Amino acid sequence: MNQSIIFIMIMSMMRLTVPIIIAALGNMYCLQAGIMNLGADGMMIAGAFGAALTTYFTGNVWLGVLVGVLAGGIIGSLHSLICVEFGGMQNVSGLGLNILAAGVTTFLCRTVFKSNMTPSVKNMFTTPVLAGIPVIGDLLMQFSPIFYIMIVLSFISWYVMAKTVAGLHIIAVGSDPRTTETAGINVWRLKHICVITCGLMTGLAGAYLSLGQLDRFVEGMTSGKGMLAIIAVTIGRRKPLKTVAAALVFGFFDALQLQIQIKNVLDLPPELILSIPYVVAVLALLFGSSKSMDKVNLNPYVKNKYEF
Amino acid sequence: MDIAIKMSGISMRFPGVLANDNIDFNVRRAEVHALVGENGAGKSTLMNILYGLYIPTAGEIEIWGQKKVFHSVPDAMRAGIGMVHQHFMLIPHLTIADNIVLGEEPCKGNRYLRAEAVKQIEVVCNKYDMHIDPTALVSSVSLGVRQRVEIVKALYRKAEIIILDEPTAVLTPQEIDDLGRVLQKLKAMGKTIIIITHKMQEVMNFSDRITVLRRGRIVGTVSTDETNADEVTQMMVGRSVHLGGDRKAVSIGNAVLRVENLHYHDGRVQKIKDVSFDVYEGEVFGIAGIDNSGQKEISEVITGIIKADKGQIIFDGKNITDWQTEKIRHAGIGFIPQDRQKSGLALGMSVRENMILGYQNLPEYKERGFLLNQEAITKNIDNKIEQYDIRLSSPEAVTRTLSGGNQQKVVVAREIGHATRLILADQPSRGVDIGAIELIHKALIDARNEGKAVLLISLELDEVMLLSDRIGVLHSGKLMGILDAKEATREQIGLMMAGGGVKHAY
Amino acid sequence: MRIKIRGISLANIMTPFVIIAAAMLITSALIMTTGANPLNAYYHLLTGVFSNIIDTINRTVPIAFTAFAVALGIKVGLFNIGLESQFLMGSLASAAAGAYITGLPSAMHVPLCLIVGMLSGMLYALPVTAMFVGKGANLLVLQLLFNSIGTLICTYFIAGPFAGENPAVAAMPRIQATAQLPNLINGPNKLSISILFVILVAFAIWFYLNKTTGGYQLRAVGDNADAARYAGINVKKYHFWVLLAGGGLAGFAGALDVTGNFYRMYGNYSPGYGFDGIPIAMLANGNPLGMVIGAIVFGALRVGSVNMQAKAGVSVEIVKVIQGVLIMLISAQHFVRFLVGKYIKNSERSGKA
Repeated sequence: MNQSIIFIMIMSMMRLTVPIIIAALGNMYCLQAGIMNLGADGMMIAGAFGAALTTYFTGNVWLGVLVGVLAGGIIGSLHSLICVEFGGMQNVSGLGLNILAAGVTTFLCRTVFKSNMTPSVKNMFTTPVLAGIPVIGDLLMQFSPIFYIMIVLSFISWYVMAKTVAGLHIIAVGSDPRTTETAGINVWRLKHICVITCGLMTGLAGAYLSLGQLDRFVEGMTSGKGMLAIIAVTIGRRKPLKTVAAALVFGFFDALQLQIQIKNVLDLPPELILSIPYVVAVLALLFGSSKSMDKVNLNPYVKNKYEF
Repeated sequence: MDIAIKMSGISMRFPGVLANDNIDFNVRRAEVHALVGENGAGKSTLMNILYGLYIPTAGEIEIWGQKKVFHSVPDAMRAGIGMVHQHFMLIPHLTIADNIVLGEEPCKGNRYLRAEAVKQIEVVCNKYDMHIDPTALVSSVSLGVRQRVEIVKALYRKAEIIILDEPTAVLTPQEIDDLGRVLQKLKAMGKTIIIITHKMQEVMNFSDRITVLRRGRIVGTVSTDETNADEVTQMMVGRSVHLGGDRKAVSIGNAVLRVENLHYHDGRVQKIKDVSFDVYEGEVFGIAGIDNSGQKEISEVITGIIKADKGQIIFDGKNITDWQTEKIRHAGIGFIPQDRQKSGLALGMSVRENMILGYQNLPEYKERGFLLNQEAITKNIDNKIEQYDIRLSSPEAVTRTLSGGNQQKVVVAREIGHATRLILADQPSRGVDIGAIELIHKALIDARNEGKAVLLISLELDEVMLLSDRIGVLHSGKLMGILDAKEATREQIGLMMAGGGVKHAY
Repeated sequence: MRIKIRGISLANIMTPFVIIAAAMLITSALIMTTGANPLNAYYHLLTGVFSNIIDTINRTVPIAFTAFAVALGIKVGLFNIGLESQFLMGSLASAAAGAYITGLPSAMHVPLCLIVGMLSGMLYALPVTAMFVGKGANLLVLQLLFNSIGTLICTYFIAGPFAGENPAVAAMPRIQATAQLPNLINGPNKLSISILFVILVAFAIWFYLNKTTGGYQLRAVGDNADAARYAGINVKKYHFWVLLAGGGLAGFAGALDVTGNFYRMYGNYSPGYGFDGIPIAMLANGNPLGMVIGAIVFGALRVGSVNMQAKAGVSVEIVKVIQGVLIMLISAQHFVRFLVGKYIKNSERSGKA
């Protein structure tokens, strides 16, 4: 009996943690390059809505995923344009993107579907193609294809940051853009790439929400998951492996909260249980030390032609 | 004779300011050429143009007789020019190797070959007899070593011409001698060297020729052995300059400040180790030492901004160790902080409002206990503008619009103007033009002549020796000794700054 | 050469208007993608406003207060985005005090509700403030998290302990008659005295910031916290009190909303007043008159958008879109000012030629 609860918890945790890990990895690039991204929620919800909308009209889940990714990328591009190119206020821009994306998606949802959620769409909860694998096939197929994409992305991110020249440049650009520029590296192009990548990946996380976790788009469904991703990056000191670990912790509490609701173990109102991940995040921020040698330089670094 | 660099008719215009005005500048092969001028003369701008950081608004550059146009730093680097900046361009939490190869990493496809980088650097180090550890983190090595890293960085990229911008600002006298030897060695190996500096000592000791800039224009080029420091200073400023104020014979009075057995640590580093000294009425007590020897911490402890771990501060007989900063100011200690932009001024507010910053709770600036006394505040700024010759468009001008020198004048005017007993001046002439330095020195000495006490902290040894009656030498948080300024020699002080030769004359 | 009007350059004045115009254009584009006619939509927006001016003024009140809260934050160098949940807490508490406390005369009940609302806003701001001032935790992320938590807390109370008479509608019970704010104008559309509070608080803030020593110190902290510290000013104290005051202002606004407008609190009520304050405060650059005007504009937007939805079929969510676009453009404010300045310079040049 106990064993199956643990099993259910782990499965649940792995499923719930997927969007947070993907978004955290994406935001890791952004933050490491020196751009704060409060707009993670906005990128995610744009991805969620884009994916659901496309799947509804085309019937093709993968097309939906693609559009979701691109939607996140568009939000990322806006953030990049304002913060990297124009040197605008990163916090305000991120916040604005959250509100804008939430507003646009809700507006379109209500206008097109006359409701605060889309109808059910084709989903990608599972990966039937894997069922054929002997022994573990039945287990493996229970995860969404995006789950496996997440694993691949994790490895790629680790490799990029630890072993490649690009990873070195990203760290350099985030710590000291001036020095990096004099070394001949195009600081702005690199930052743009990082922020847009963040958008694309967070969009993917959003697509998973509406296609891989639920089978529709619901207004406000991201509800702060983007913030959890950012906190995971902060706690993980922007290193890929630690970030994933931190994201897993959030996934765990999310799964815990869900199980408590389902089993109605504690006789607490649903809202208070729903708030568990957020409270954990607050505690993590409170007790996580901020003293670190490798602080990132979040100041805007503007090109000479924009000096004013 | 080969001409390494020929800059002709170079002009550089920024919005509102002509930093370089039609400059012709030549550097010969294998010479050490000093480019001098006071703060704001345009020397850094000229070299930044040479290094590809700026594109000149007019003029041409020839390197080894070939016309070159630099659109970026890599362009200049490809032409064989390397630059060691005043504020090192190094990323502290990456290794020395990472920093040196950044931008030109040995790689296979996208994979960064760290081990190969280390090997290549060791080759360069051996060739030029430089000693650094490529695997160490930059954050773990001293400033002198970091400078060496910067030089190796230039050599790794095959620089034939090396520019050094204010290289001796952060070095002890011994490290400065070491640098001189490195430069001579590089020169013997055929490298061409330009040093930008305003320190006469280094100019006369290191260079073969000197070019002087003033207000963006070339004043002239001379051979070092055909001139002397005073002549060059005259060329730099355009008139004879009298630094050091008008010293009068003043009898030393009571001890205004007694610092006793001060200890302070920050994290794991002990920043102040058992420091004790006194400052008397009518004297200037100067503290010499290289950067980060504990000067900032000592001034912050005295002014109540941080609390010492152990020890006492006695001011006019009262124990002020635990007093709040505002109370200390009101009691008569003025404090000119090290970094005016970071700690001394609210740049977005008007000059008028900045002139009472720190003193806003004095009764004379208040009305009915909680309102600002606008009349008194206006009278204050009007007086100070006149007394200190502060150049600004109006008292309501935003402080950010003032020049560095005038900004410093605001801080100096405010602190000396309100201090009734002691003035703590931390690097009062940093980044300030000579005209303003003259005025600041005069103000400090006038205060001393009036019987106030002055505690002067400066990284410029010349300034300390010029202004002080007694000199304390700081090294790694420890007071190595206190000397009579009239008898102390540069060598003595330099030795103590580096950690040797303890002496207690007083 | 820059054209200066009483010391403020032309570019500075024009920039807010350029930003607003750009926002309108972008929003119109979005409206067009749904097949609706933007001009038609704006027409109904405006008719909605003018047929209901009094309601507009009522809506202005909470928005103005959040703008004041944001402005105070900006003056002290902080960005305050926790106002939304602090507003809700104020509404919740004052609605409870208004509904469940009986037997008090109006002269006591009304102030009680207002004070309870203000205090609960401050109380809700306290944990975040303490964590930020005490431990240096990231203020913005904490505030966003607490916004999420706050919404959940309100939903819980309104569905549970504070549930109203009608189980079908998520709302609290109606407040007692004695808790209702007195009105300046009675009749079909009432104008409560809340507007007077706006004027009072606006003046008080302006006076404090510019005429008192305390306000001077606050501004110094906002301009350069390090220099303020060196000058002996207690930076943490100002950060602490401004954040709490922000919570108090937002909570007070929530209380005014309940006692002056709807007389009860609804579930799922997230008007976004907290986020209106941000673009208003930033565009007006802390100028109290500018902020009141901005609040009126946003109030008008909300009132008019209802009519716009009814007659032109454009969802009220468009208000959030306008909010978002404005904030985005404001974040690039410096750049917009740069472009405007360049445009002015170029037209000067071609004008002279």
